[in-house]
Amino acid sequence: MVSGVAAVAATRLLSAALALPGLAAGVAATVAPTFVHAETAPETGTIDFKYLYYHDYQPGGSRMRISAPSLHLLLPISATWALEGTLVVDAISGASPLYHDTLSGASKLGVNDLRKAGDLKLMRYFDRAAVGFGFAYSTEHDYVSRTLSTDARVSTPDNNTTFALGVGHSSDDIDSVNRVARGKSKRTTDWMIGVTQVLTPSDIVQSNITYSSGSGYYDDPYKAVDIRPGSREQTAWLTRWNHHLPSLDATLRLSARYYRDTFGIRAATLGAEWVQSYGAWSLTPSFRYYTQSAADFYHGPPFPIGFAFGKPYSADQRLSAFGAITPGIKLARSFTGGWHVDVKAEYYEQRNDWRRLVDAGDGGKGSADLKPVKAQFYQFGIGKDF
Amino acid sequence: MIPDMKSKARLVRSVLALAMTVVATGCSLQPVQPWEKGDLAKPAMSFSIDPLDDRFTQRIYNSKENASGGYGVGGGGCGCN
Repeated sequence: MVSGVAAVAATRLLSAALALPGLAAGVAATVAPTFVHAETAPETGTIDFKYLYYHDYQPGGSRMRISAPSLHLLLPISATWALEGTLVVDAISGASPLYHDTLSGASKLGVNDLRKAGDLKLMRYFDRAAVGFGFAYSTEHDYVSRTLSTDARVSTPDNNTTFALGVGHSSDDIDSVNRVARGKSKRTTDWMIGVTQVLTPSDIVQSNITYSSGSGYYDDPYKAVDIRPGSREQTAWLTRWNHHLPSLDATLRLSARYYRDTFGIRAATLGAEWVQSYGAWSLTPSFRYYTQSAADFYHGPPFPIGFAFGKPYSADQRLSAFGAITPGIKLARSFTGGWHVDVKAEYYEQRNDWRRLVDAGDGGKGSADLKPVKAQFYQFGIGKDF
Repeated sequence: MIPDMKSKARLVRSVLALAMTVVATGCSLQPVQPWEKGDLAKPAMSFSIDPLDDRFTQRIYNSKENASGGYGVGGGGCGCN
């Protein structure tokens, strides 16, 4: 009896904070809520500012630089409603390859753009369920994108299993600065189904499958020659596993994703992070490996070998077969009053001969070596819970 | 041929046995009780610790690599050249 009462009390005490890690985790990273509450809207709001800097380059040449201040707000409205929004401004400058690894900067066709993007999501909470409605908008000199989405999550009575379902529709308009693409558009519908399962008091796993079907303009108008199919279907299967080690006050976060699309590309992504806490500090080393096969219509150097009138053709390095690694490190500190700051640095390198795990494509040989792509990303963030 | 078929049958039986073991183990897992979820509620156990970090890195990877998806629906598009 006593233990029963204690259990009920403990349940009440913990239910608000601990009810359902899985439910919050069930939604997109792109529109994900950041709290663990499920049946009720978040009790505290959060505002975060981040400054992001990105620079990529290849041997003998600098490519793109992106400088991006961003703002995120999570706002509880009532016990059953919450609002979440993001604003990002990307200042993009530099050179993009005309074909393979030949840079446009060499022919005075550099890129200089300002991208403004925002999204808003309204969430409604029910008993063991939540529904979200999202809108995203982004604009560049030559590109406008609008997305509407909705998702729903339902948990089992013990709150150990959460099912998620989502659908989104995007409408993009393209008018390239060089007038190669005039009045072009693209329409895409995305579907997601997912499940999150609490396995043990220290283990939680999530598995999502997303399917995307789009039609319209997929060419890159800034490439010398780039003709792609007018539709694409993409399927991705992502599984993530988080394991807490109480004796070390650390968390191991693992992820694996398999991807395939109708361009003929197969890809695999593996990620690992170790979150080590030291009181108010946390240090997170991370490593990511990505690999893909080539698109059916990708042709390696010399340019434009393989081109035939009326057939898809691309010499875009991003459609070649390659592998890429990203080692990174993040340091975060929380302060009294709900303040938190973080800094993160990552290094990225992509090489054609690092392809593994997926079939080579391109006739089974893999793609001929282009110059490696290297990049550095930096983030500085400050935020406050209120 | 026959030894080859036998070894294949053995392999199939082994895989089935392994699958049944996994299923049986999974079914025997005790449901985690609410008062056992303290560690699961830690921020590091969330699948989205830092939304701005996630968005930024996903956007960078979308502009450098072909694969995308798996995380959800509703992200905004970009030219990403």
